[in-house]
Amino acid sequence: MIKHWVFNCKDVSSLISRSLDKKLPLSTRLGIKFHLMMCKLCRRYEKQLLIIHAALKEEIIVPLPKSIQEKIKAALKKK
Amino acid sequence: MTKEIKQHTLSDPSTWVDQYGDYLYTYALRRIQDTSSAQDLVQDTFMAALKAKDNFKGKSSEKTWFTSILRHKIIDYIRKKYKQPFLETDQTGDIDTNSYFHSNGKWKDPPKDWASNPQKLLEQKSFLEILKKCVQDIPQRLAHALTLKELEGVTTKEICKVLDISSTNCWTMLHRARLLVRKCVETNWLETEGNKK
Repeated sequence: MIKHWVFNCKDVSSLISRSLDKKLPLSTRLGIKFHLMMCKLCRRYEKQLLIIHAALKEEIIVPLPKSIQEKIKAALKKK
Repeated sequence: MTKEIKQHTLSDPSTWVDQYGDYLYTYALRRIQDTSSAQDLVQDTFMAALKAKDNFKGKSSEKTWFTSILRHKIIDYIRKKYKQPFLETDQTGDIDTNSYFHSNGKWKDPPKDWASNPQKLLEQKSFLEILKKCVQDIPQRLAHALTLKELEGVTTKEICKVLDISSTNCWTMLHRARLLVRKCVETNWLETEGNKK
């Protein structure tokens, strides 16, 4: 249970993760901001989660193995 | 007055694999990580599309239509996986988020500096490959929670249902997944960068 508006790194790491998925109450957001103002490590953490979030969306096409391609083509022909 | 010609019928099924095979396979792999299951899902998608081809009304593009069939199959696949009784090999809760922090709430192993220009990281194939591998390496249930959220934009409520977990656990799972992936990416990326020097 997080009391007051003074968060530590453990609280903030969890809250940053939550904030990526849902809008948090104003008081919580202020608490996070306050902590981030003073904590370089958590600022880094937040930046890195955002990098991961963006990077996950980048796509590298993986080719479907030839054997599977042939298998599916054959199955489609049958019907 | 020119009317936009909409494609109301699907292209010839014999062309489907060439047109969409790689795309659909990549789509599935990114979400479920398991190669043979991803291949099965792609096959199932094409077979289902063949059965349902008269349902294609041309409201969306062909690619979108195939993708939505696959998407449903992916969610069903993940849902079925977690309906089974808890398997020893499928760890979900081993990683205690508390172990990342001291009792005073400070970082035990603080995040390191990755790069002066984060935007450049997104352009580097080696970085993306490391991220891909890291998502594959974390406990599968955590990976599924993360990809459903990040790639599909599924609401947390829906993720809980699919993975058959309580909503508090859902938040914790995403948090754990992110802590693990971040740490893995950091270790491997910095090693790669170190080797370059």
